[in-house]
Amino acid sequence: MSRQRMTLLLADDDHTIVDSLAPFLERAGFKVLVVSNGAAALEKVQSHHPDLIVLDVLMPRMDGRETLRRLRHANVWTPTILLTQVGEASERALALEEGADDYLNKPFDPHELLARVRAVLRRARPGERSLSAAWLLTAEDLVLDRRARRASLKGKSLELTPKALSVLEYLMTHPDEVVSRERLLNAVWGWEYPAGTRTVDTRMAELRRALDDDPASPYYIETVSGEGYRFLPSVHGEG
Amino acid sequence: MGKKSWLVLLLIALPLLSGALVSVLAQGFFQPVPVLVFKIDVGMVAFVAGLIITLFLLSFYAGGLLIERRSQRMLERSLKEAELGRRRFLRRLDHEIKNPLTGLRAALVNVQEARGVDERQRASNNASRAVARLSRLLADLRKLSDLEERSLENLPVDVPELLQDMVDAARSIPAYGDREVNLLISRVPSPFPTVRGDRDLLGVVMYNLVENALKFTSENESVEVRALEDGRTIVVEVADSGVGIPAEDLSNIFEELYRGSNARGVDGSGLGLALVRRIVALHGGEIDVRSQQEEPRGTVFSVRLPVSKR
Repeated sequence: MSRQRMTLLLADDDHTIVDSLAPFLERAGFKVLVVSNGAAALEKVQSHHPDLIVLDVLMPRMDGRETLRRLRHANVWTPTILLTQVGEASERALALEEGADDYLNKPFDPHELLARVRAVLRRARPGERSLSAAWLLTAEDLVLDRRARRASLKGKSLELTPKALSVLEYLMTHPDEVVSRERLLNAVWGWEYPAGTRTVDTRMAELRRALDDDPASPYYIETVSGEGYRFLPSVHGEG
Repeated sequence: MGKKSWLVLLLIALPLLSGALVSVLAQGFFQPVPVLVFKIDVGMVAFVAGLIITLFLLSFYAGGLLIERRSQRMLERSLKEAELGRRRFLRRLDHEIKNPLTGLRAALVNVQEARGVDERQRASNNASRAVARLSRLLADLRKLSDLEERSLENLPVDVPELLQDMVDAARSIPAYGDREVNLLISRVPSPFPTVRGDRDLLGVVMYNLVENALKFTSENESVEVRALEDGRTIVVEVADSGVGIPAEDLSNIFEELYRGSNARGVDGSGLGLALVRRIVALHGGEIDVRSQQEEPRGTVFSVRLPVSKR
């Protein structure tokens, strides 16, 4: 990253937010372009080809969701992080449906945004459709059909609670990345639970039982001590 | 009175008018009919029958009117209560936001005017604390509104395991690290029955109650969590030997953002118990509290949840 400054496009209509976030991201080594609505974001993407877009959902003229839809429709696969306002489950599911690479609920810590930006950039393969926009995810014998909300292992359907399935979905769309429990809570539950880390661990235990994955010598999900979880095999996305 | 009401009254009076008409017309046509030892006048029978039917209809109509008025009054009263509740909520919210915001403004001034690194560090720590408090308030507000919209999981939940997890989690807060929480669960003669519901949300209930108990007790006081069942209901009690809740606060503590006289200045969003009550209600359960401030003092929250049917 130090060899070549990467360009971020930051689209948010709240001046206080961009005025503070832009210098913060600049200090972290990025070149930051700022726009205040979706239409301007589309123009900037065409003229400046940023490496990553941070899009707020609620914006005047064209909201973040519509902007993202148009970009993806035009086959532009620039990695995008959506800044969502409401912590509702439907909003989170939609964010994935529209091909966002990641999403962050407001209010967030700027360091968290930076971590996500870096993680998404690391994962991105320029010009390629990201795993977050794929409907069918395959990792070795494990297949996740996101539309049907179904997972199968060696052709046998897995019995999973909806939460455990969403945890698997998040891990499979972020393979080889250490995902902290807090991040899983934010993404899958949308709530900050007081006993949150245990809440995540319970679902992870369920997931591992279903996958017959031994935590001591894991094949699919590795526990990174003190940090979180990592999905080990490489993932292939389709559709 | 409207046109419709006049029409209804006319219809009610119709049997009486017809009876009167028949009694006038019957004179001269019909002779009184002998029944047993009485002689019955047909005209009079028609008149009395009309009178009775009219009285019956009238009482029916008047009763309906009364019920309608009463329900109208009840509706008005509940609307008024809802409006009062809304205003009370906004007032409390204003108060809850005002304090951390004042702290934040002061801290920002201190950041700008700080003379040394230490001073700046302290000011920015204070700003972070105020932000954390506002974030927690917002997060809990969102939980409350989210509860109304999200679909609940409906799976068997192992209550003893959940209680153990939540007690461990509450004790893992650094401030409560060395505190004892006694967990008592009846296990004889059969394993503890499950409840059906959302494990994560029920976890919030248990955690909030245990955390509250720890918050309002000191090191040499005790906290006890016990679970019992009678085949139909599971009762979880979270008891402590802390200062107790003043009697005048007891009926209000489940209200959103209500702060009892004991809870002022104590950390928390003021929404914890409101969340607890809502989640318990969504699971078809009930929550009660009993507390006393004189010896033997302490507080007991009891949550009742229906046992899941096999």
